[in-house]
Amino acid sequence: MFECKDVAEEASNYLDGDLPLGKRVGLFLHLVYCSCCRRYLQQIRQTISTVNILRPQEQHDTDTQALAEKLRMLSKTES
Amino acid sequence: MKKVASLNQLDEKALIDKLIEGDAAAFEFVVDRYHSIMLSVARAIIGEAFADEVVQDAWVSAIKALPRFEGRASLKTWLLQITSNGAKTRLRRESRQLSLDDGWQAEPDYKFDQRGHRIDDVLPWNIDTPDALLENEQLRQVIETTYQKLPPQQRAVLTMADMEGLEMKEICNILDISASNARVLLHRARTALHHSIEKYQES
Ligand SMILES: [Zn+2]
Repeated sequence: MFECKDVAEEASNYLDGDLPLGKRVGLFLHLVYCSCCRRYLQQIRQTISTVNILRPQEQHDTDTQALAEKLRMLSKTES
Repeated sequence: MKKVASLNQLDEKALIDKLIEGDAAAFEFVVDRYHSIMLSVARAIIGEAFADEVVQDAWVSAIKALPRFEGRASLKTWLLQITSNGAKTRLRRESRQLSLDDGWQAEPDYKFDQRGHRIDDVLPWNIDTPDALLENEQLRQVIETTYQKLPPQQRAVLTMADMEGLEMKEICNILDISASNARVLLHRARTALHHSIEKYQES
């Protein structure tokens, strides 16, 4: 029996299509009568698309321009 | 900035040719585009301390090997693989299977009753399109901060899966973890971000 708690645990696997058939059906049936979980899944989906658009970046203090130039010089000596 | 953006349109073969020719804009473009994902992978494998060094070395090896790049994988996957190999060599042999049996929960117990039903309603978000979310500077900040606070492995899996669109198989390969570990890490990362958006919506 799928409960809200299970939906919270398996949300990503469900959305990514990585859930075995039995569980998939169980989760789907739960969604039919539980609006909370429908909303929860929708929000997880929305979280994913937000991250995809926002593209947060690793923090670092590398001077990427200097690195690019260093690599370019290196490639010259290589060829 | 413009010339970098226009490079985006070039196909990968053309980009690599430009790199081999020593085109400065091409170098800036690839470093700009890939440095932070490479760092993400290195940090996930060996942690903060050696990550910078591993990535610098990976760049150097990649540039040296570039004329032999065959394009069987995408440039991105190839760079990440070189980074991963470097990090793993650095790490030497150590068990890579994570123990994920640490009592983590997608949602805290108090949100459910004994039978696992939700006690309170899941509240609708009042900002409900990604575009609206993004126009909200405060929320952008919340998401950035949460992302940066994620454990490095979660961050790396999230970056590769949800931002870079890599296949699960590739991600497992690059981080040298099992598919079930990768899925758990991904779900934890998404859940953490969901929590932070939820908390923001409630405040
Ligand atoms: Zn439910």
